[in-house]
Amino acid sequence: MSHRVIVVCSAVVLALATVLVAPSFLKAQGQQGQRGQQGQQVQGQGVGQGLPNAQGGRGGGRGGRGNQPDVPSKPTPRWPDGHPRIGAPTPEERGIWGACCGSLSNATTPYQPWAKALYDYRRNNEFEPHTRCKPSGGARQFVTPYGTEIVELPDLQKIFIFDIGGPHTFRTIYMDGKPHPRDLVPSYYGDSRGHWEGDSLVVDNTGFNEGFWMDRAGSPHTEKLHYIEKFTRTDYNTLKYEVTVDDPGAYTGTWSNSFQMRWQAGPELFEYVCQDNNFAPVLLIGNESSIDRSSVIIP
Amino acid sequence: MRLKAAFLVCLLAGLAITISAVAQEGHPLTGVWYGDYGTTAAQRSHLTIEMAWDGKAVTGIINPGPDSIPIKVATLDTSKWAFHLEADGKDEKGQAAHFVADGKLENVGSYNRTITGTWNYGTTKANFKLRRD
Repeated sequence: MSHRVIVVCSAVVLALATVLVAPSFLKAQGQQGQRGQQGQQVQGQGVGQGLPNAQGGRGGGRGGRGNQPDVPSKPTPRWPDGHPRIGAPTPEERGIWGACCGSLSNATTPYQPWAKALYDYRRNNEFEPHTRCKPSGGARQFVTPYGTEIVELPDLQKIFIFDIGGPHTFRTIYMDGKPHPRDLVPSYYGDSRGHWEGDSLVVDNTGFNEGFWMDRAGSPHTEKLHYIEKFTRTDYNTLKYEVTVDDPGAYTGTWSNSFQMRWQAGPELFEYVCQDNNFAPVLLIGNESSIDRSSVIIP
Repeated sequence: MRLKAAFLVCLLAGLAITISAVAQEGHPLTGVWYGDYGTTAAQRSHLTIEMAWDGKAVTGIINPGPDSIPIKVATLDTSKWAFHLEADGKDEKGQAAHFVADGKLENVGSYNRTITGTWNYGTTKANFKLRRD
């Protein structure tokens, strides 16, 4: 009988390890550096990184501002029901939003002492999971080298936000009015529930894991993070992004910041494989003295 | 019935391992730490410490299992990345002991960060090494 118990136990653990751990292991094994991606990110953080209402996305390539018109912007495009369209203005017009939100925090951010120390450490040790192709929730999702594409599907009551570079994955914002599920399993993007308040899309996010940095600068967070976003397309070319961070695990109070993203007419989501073309081991391990690759869990 | 119970335990253990493997960028002490302690390089005892940050304090247990020891105090002085731990349990001989550990957190940005330092209880002066796994 005990033999059967051992066999069943081993089989279950092995199966779980294969299904849940092996994919991330295999994925990370393929990553050999990301100089191309990281270099673009630095460019794409914009002139006003960390400043309220900063204008991001002046990086080169597809994330740049080369397509931005000098003429006054057209008005905010709208759906037939009157809500602003925060993605492509029409099915025929393609485009993406340039990067924003390099640093959420500033001198007034109410860090807990450990969070401030960790933030300061990260400023000098860029050991960020995003550089190893891990998804990054919160504002960090908008700091990918080629911007982000927002796809609205009113019929399905969902909005998708696609990272074009970086992990090349997506977040779903549920617009069906249902609350967050109970007992969420923490994840990189958490659970996003959106609704309209006038011309602003308000998105309530919770259920994050601690496997990512909340912004490019390294603001820490815990699984207690409750993250409220407000997207307002103030005109055709501008998406105002306001965020309120509520994380009693890492901060002594609630705090906010805001940024702007610029519309890049023309580009849309294209194939991007994070594992390829990864030439920056320094960015993978920062200036840490060593990295142990004997573990099946990739750091 | 016994098989079902074993299946459930294994399932939960597997899930716990998987979920804890993702949590890596929050409070630096959060996670499961493996290592050993001892008075010499040859005389080592296995040491596992599981810690979590509840927003105000670090909680956790030493050597999870039937003989686990709850952590009484665990702190991290982030100005020096200095780790301090206290716990009341039993030593290898089954005698009541007050464990006091002081160490330094290193490789802070790494998933596999480490803590090394002293591990004292009773009259025993030992050292310890832990690696977050």
